[in-house]
Amino acid sequence: MSAGGRWSLGLLGRILAILLLAVVVEFGVSTLLYERASRLSVHEDEAHRLAENLALAVKFFNDTPMADRHALADRLSTDRYIFTWHEEAPRPPLANPALSRMRLQVTAWEPSLVGTQLRLRVKSPGRSNVVIGNLRLRDGTGLEIHAPHLIQSTTFTINRIALALAPAIALVVIGALLTRVTLRPIRELVKATGEIGHGGTVQLAEKGPAEVRRLTRAFNEMQARITTLIEGRTRALAGVGHDLRTPIARLRLRTDMIDDPQVRKAFAGDLVEIEGMLNSLLAYFGRDVDPEARSRVDLAVMLSSMVDELADEGKPAEYQGPDHCEAVCRKSEIKRAVSNLIENAIHYGGRAIVGLRIEGPDAAITVDDEGPGIPEDAIAMACEPFVRLDAARARNTNGLGLGLSIVTHAAASAGGRFSLANRPEGGLRATLVLPLQPLET
Amino acid sequence: MSSQVIVLVEDDPGLRVLTTRALQGDGFEVHPAGSAPEMWRALDRAAVDLVLLDVMLPGTSGIDLCRQIRQKSDVPIIFVSARDSEMDRVIGLELGADDYLPKPFGTRELVARVRAVLRRGGMDRRHEAAGDGKAHFDGWSVDFPRREVLSPSGATVDLTGAEFDLLSSFLAHPQRVISRERLLELARTRIGDSSDRSVDVLVSRLRRKLSHDGAPPPIVTVRGAGYMFNAKVTHY
Repeated sequence: MSAGGRWSLGLLGRILAILLLAVVVEFGVSTLLYERASRLSVHEDEAHRLAENLALAVKFFNDTPMADRHALADRLSTDRYIFTWHEEAPRPPLANPALSRMRLQVTAWEPSLVGTQLRLRVKSPGRSNVVIGNLRLRDGTGLEIHAPHLIQSTTFTINRIALALAPAIALVVIGALLTRVTLRPIRELVKATGEIGHGGTVQLAEKGPAEVRRLTRAFNEMQARITTLIEGRTRALAGVGHDLRTPIARLRLRTDMIDDPQVRKAFAGDLVEIEGMLNSLLAYFGRDVDPEARSRVDLAVMLSSMVDELADEGKPAEYQGPDHCEAVCRKSEIKRAVSNLIENAIHYGGRAIVGLRIEGPDAAITVDDEGPGIPEDAIAMACEPFVRLDAARARNTNGLGLGLSIVTHAAASAGGRFSLANRPEGGLRATLVLPLQPLET
Repeated sequence: MSSQVIVLVEDDPGLRVLTTRALQGDGFEVHPAGSAPEMWRALDRAAVDLVLLDVMLPGTSGIDLCRQIRQKSDVPIIFVSARDSEMDRVIGLELGADDYLPKPFGTRELVARVRAVLRRGGMDRRHEAAGDGKAHFDGWSVDFPRREVLSPSGATVDLTGAEFDLLSSFLAHPQRVISRERLLELARTRIGDSSDRSVDVLVSRLRRKLSHDGAPPPIVTVRGAGYMFNAKVTHY
């Protein structure tokens, strides 16, 4: 996918867009909700009572001479409605659109109030919420009414908090989701990076913001370069290894012509050592060049034949396990791995006791020896390539220190595992666990 | 008996000379060839018993050469390769090579393989008309060139070299009593320690490895006489 030229906002752009969206949504929703909240309406019956009181008061005030109107106002006032009469016409108060709905409710119930220029407003909304109404009497004087209990301030406040909180919470959720989506390619990249080097290449699709796409492309290219580099070197090394076999073959044939048996034996021994090193090197590097196909193999017979072959040569090896145990595996790879373990056991531990057990869906191959074991802290290191634990004895060792890393790789490629442990009764136990029926990959 | 003739095809001059000497030392008549044309000339010149063919020749690949030889003749062929890759081995054997010898090899191994293929060639001519070296018994199948045994359930059953040679001897003489001495003789190249007991050990191992679903393999002990492979064997 060559999405290189496609236009993209970029990571910064995306995050800014998310912020912008958040602000816009917050602003929009808040405005909408406050609008709603302040377009206060009261319950119908409250509005009707207010309307009836007002209509009645207007009627009384109109019928009462000016001199008595202050007294009338006092008499009409209750806890809920407080009337005040003003001799001069009320100055037109600022029309509060918030209460326009309440005004409609009132005038709808008492149409006689329509001509009174009724104005409603809220004083200090949010705390005590007093609704104040002003109107004009027939003679041009003004009547004012305070209704302190018309709107419950508590519900008003809780509503407001809830209303303000809801969009905030929604925004956090939306913001988190969007950021997650934006960062997904990076998470995939992290995952892919972790998988590199465990066989096979991970080709990532170039998608997401421009920076991430560039990163993905760079990653893919880097991976291709690394693969080419390793493949090239591996092939070169494998080629040299194969070419070396012809001169080694010449040397072996020449060795057989040496008359002095001692010299012949020494030569043959050296050649065996060189061959061992070459084979382990080729096995280590060749596994990626020429992977083997899986087939059905009788592991029990394979192990006992390996042991029999060694026992026939007079080497101290024995097999303990069932007569048969069929599994699907890469035979040469497993055989080489087990053969490395057996060689190590005989070399370092005096003898090799090869065991096989079926553990649920797995076969556990164990190779025990009777040697000194290895220090606990060196167990993990023992499986690293080119590591030999006994530097002093290196000259006697057949190989390059690749043995256990070949085993580790064989276990991994079979979908199994490999471990080393010191046996409580002494000696080392190498365990290679393989699935009997590996999942197709 | 006149000595058997081997054509050796190997491009490395040193190895060619050394291999020639090793084989001559064992009584074979060797016609060395450094390239494909030389090989064809050698094949035309005399009756040849075996071709020892390096897979990686310059110019022509040994695999092509093997195919071309097979089109003209049934002469036994041993593939020699520096690559011990499974692919090479399988392709070579599929194309009709009789055995596969990985480099580097020693004189003993070389001679043993050559002798085994020559003996098997003789056996083939005795027992079957034109086979490609496979045998069947009781659901088991044996591929001689690949030295491979498959169980009735299709699993590869790995035998040691000596055990395989012993099984081959049984399969060549089914339903006939074979004495321990004769078995030893037939499998001489593989069994270092040539005692009657080693035959007994090999037979008991074979019995264990060739059992299937609890049923023992058809190798019966004939008291005082030897062993008999008591099953119908089909070669094809």
